[in-house]
Amino acid sequence: MSALSADARRGELVFHIGGCASCHTEPTAEDEEPKNGNNPPILSGGKRFRTPFGTFIAPNISPDKETGIGNWTAANFATALIKGISPDGQHYYPAFPYTSYARMTFQDVIDLKAYLDTLPAIVRANEQHELTFPFSIRRGLGLWKILHLGDEPIVELKNANPEVKRGQYLVEGPGHCGECHTPRNPIGGLDFSQWLAGAPNPDGDGSIPNITPHASGIADWEAVDIAEYLSSGFTPEYDVAGGSMAEVVDNIARISPGDRKAIAAYLQAIPAVANKTSE
Amino acid sequence: MRKIHVILGTLVASSMLITGLSTAAEVEDIIKARQSFMRVYAFNIGLVGDMAKGKTEYNAEIAANAAQNLLALSKMKNGPMWPKGSSKADSGLDGKTRALPEIWTTFPEVSERGTDLTKALEDFVGVAGKDLASLRKGMKSVGEGCKGCHKKFRAEKKQ
Repeated sequence: MSALSADARRGELVFHIGGCASCHTEPTAEDEEPKNGNNPPILSGGKRFRTPFGTFIAPNISPDKETGIGNWTAANFATALIKGISPDGQHYYPAFPYTSYARMTFQDVIDLKAYLDTLPAIVRANEQHELTFPFSIRRGLGLWKILHLGDEPIVELKNANPEVKRGQYLVEGPGHCGECHTPRNPIGGLDFSQWLAGAPNPDGDGSIPNITPHASGIADWEAVDIAEYLSSGFTPEYDVAGGSMAEVVDNIARISPGDRKAIAAYLQAIPAVANKTSE
Repeated sequence: MRKIHVILGTLVASSMLITGLSTAAEVEDIIKARQSFMRVYAFNIGLVGDMAKGKTEYNAEIAANAAQNLLALSKMKNGPMWPKGSSKADSGLDGKTRALPEIWTTFPEVSERGTDLTKALEDFVGVAGKDLASLRKGMKSVGEGCKGCHKKFRAEKKQ
């Protein structure tokens, strides 16, 4: 890893594909952020996420040395992102989507760290997550991770061209699209047989749509429709992205047009799967 | 004491009539009107969006007119289309509207987001009729303007 050199400008694109700001931005800063988002992200954490397991509180990932991750080495950061283990050896809860980030390249990981290091350092001490027993016992996560943590591709795509492969990397890795668009088993692991086929909405009402090329998914979307949606948020019918997906589009709009096309190519190449919950 | 309650009850009931609390059928009509209003947005965005995607040929005049229409829509005074009690939670019409109750509890944020949209569309009017590259670039900020409200104030669709 020491042979790699980090590039903060590339890291900024990794930051947007990963959607780091959506969870780690200070809750009040988000509303004040100008629409064009030219201000640097304030990654002090503090946003609360209510789940069936309890409430998770996003940590400070700004480069403050005491309360943020300013003291972390590139190796600390990579271990956190790819293995889900903190510098002091604790397992992270998978609300932090390291089960997807496990597929990221080291280059992307260190570029991301280099970018985070350029952002404002904010002093804000992290709180404990407010979880219910037995989820409050972190050691239980070790077993969970044996079952759910891997870096192999999720779908097998025969004869995939470089564009589809790039899309696969973005979607299955840093983009962590499956974390919401794929249903989970009773202990919270993704059900790969329903990969991207839609799931209940973790934030409450309604559901997260099927984005496979199935009739109940986005079979009738052309590649340009998907790419445009990921840029402006407009569907083929010119409805607009809402809810948490609107935030995802805010992020994905900032990556390169070529990467958005690659995501579209991948989404058209994956198996068409019927959504179980819709039947 | 009971009499006073009855009188008070009658007073409250009649004042509700006077202020014109809508019936379910009236609320449903209002919901239809605002959804139709959104369709007019979508129609005009579709004209420029299909050009941006290369599905239709770029036409400066049509693009400029669509942008003007969108700006005009965003300036309409549509308060009566959004009466209290017409969210998915309190209208009894869950399934017909996805409007979240936060629209009525986070004022003035809703109207600020509306102003943001108007600003974005004012910029869009300046670029849509210029050339295809400018129109394409402008689509992002139009989308941001729309998402401003849809992010927080509309529930996810049921699949």
